[in-house]
Amino acid sequence: MAGIRVKAKLKKGVVKVKAMAKHDMSTYNQMEKKTGNRDDANFITHLSATVNGETVLDSSTSQFLSKNPIFKFEFQGIGAKGDKVKMVWTDRKGNTGKGSAKIK
Amino acid sequence: MERRQFLSMTLGALALAVVPASVKAEDFRKLKPNVWSAHTVDDAIKAMYGTTTLIENDSVYLKAAGEAYNSGKKAVASSGGAIPVNFSTKVPAKTIAVFQDANPEAAVIVYSVTKYSVNNYDIKIKMAKPGTITVVVEGEDGKLYAAKQTLDVALGGCEG
Repeated sequence: MAGIRVKAKLKKGVVKVKAMAKHDMSTYNQMEKKTGNRDDANFITHLSATVNGETVLDSSTSQFLSKNPIFKFEFQGIGAKGDKVKMVWTDRKGNTGKGSAKIK
Repeated sequence: MERRQFLSMTLGALALAVVPASVKAEDFRKLKPNVWSAHTVDDAIKAMYGTTTLIENDSVYLKAAGEAYNSGKKAVASSGGAIPVNFSTKVPAKTIAVFQDANPEAAVIVYSVTKYSVNNYDIKIKMAKPGTITVVVEGEDGKLYAAKQTLDVALGGCEG
């Protein structure tokens, strides 16, 4: 099941988030070797995080992130303990993966 | 009159309410497709920001495979499949982008900074061979701040 695992912790007013997306992140060259078709490459192209409907992370990504990539980021000024951090990724084939965690 | 006011108010409130957070998201793969197909770091930075003038004045911190950019040492990554990269900046930023020159294309990730962001990020990247990681921060003043770190890669990550 594709998705993303999220952990969020509030410390001194800053929420630190650690997330691991479950994804192969195959590159064009890898897929050319494996299947002979560069177009089989699939990787996360966009990753975002929201808290209470507000965007706190917004990133466009390429195939050069590691397999099952880990993202750590921080934000402040929004989010209290118990609020949910929701994350969504979209990949090159249009699939999406979701995950969320309560801020601890 | 009252009814009209009420109507316009509700309409306004509705319009505000229905704009989902995702509309704000900036998908740089769609906005700037050339960035992602550029083969060199210079080309990619140019496609992204229109210039390649970078200011390297310690306002961007970069650590790759355990070595800080200003340590004077070359970092060594034992596996190119997952190289830990940490970068942060105190500069008020609009976007932050990461590039490297070891893979077929240069761009790795572009963040659009939100008003809640604390600009301290950790990611793991792949590199096929030894190369240089460049982190570019587009400040709110329009200038580009950067930090670079060169690393050795013992085992390439893109060969699979």
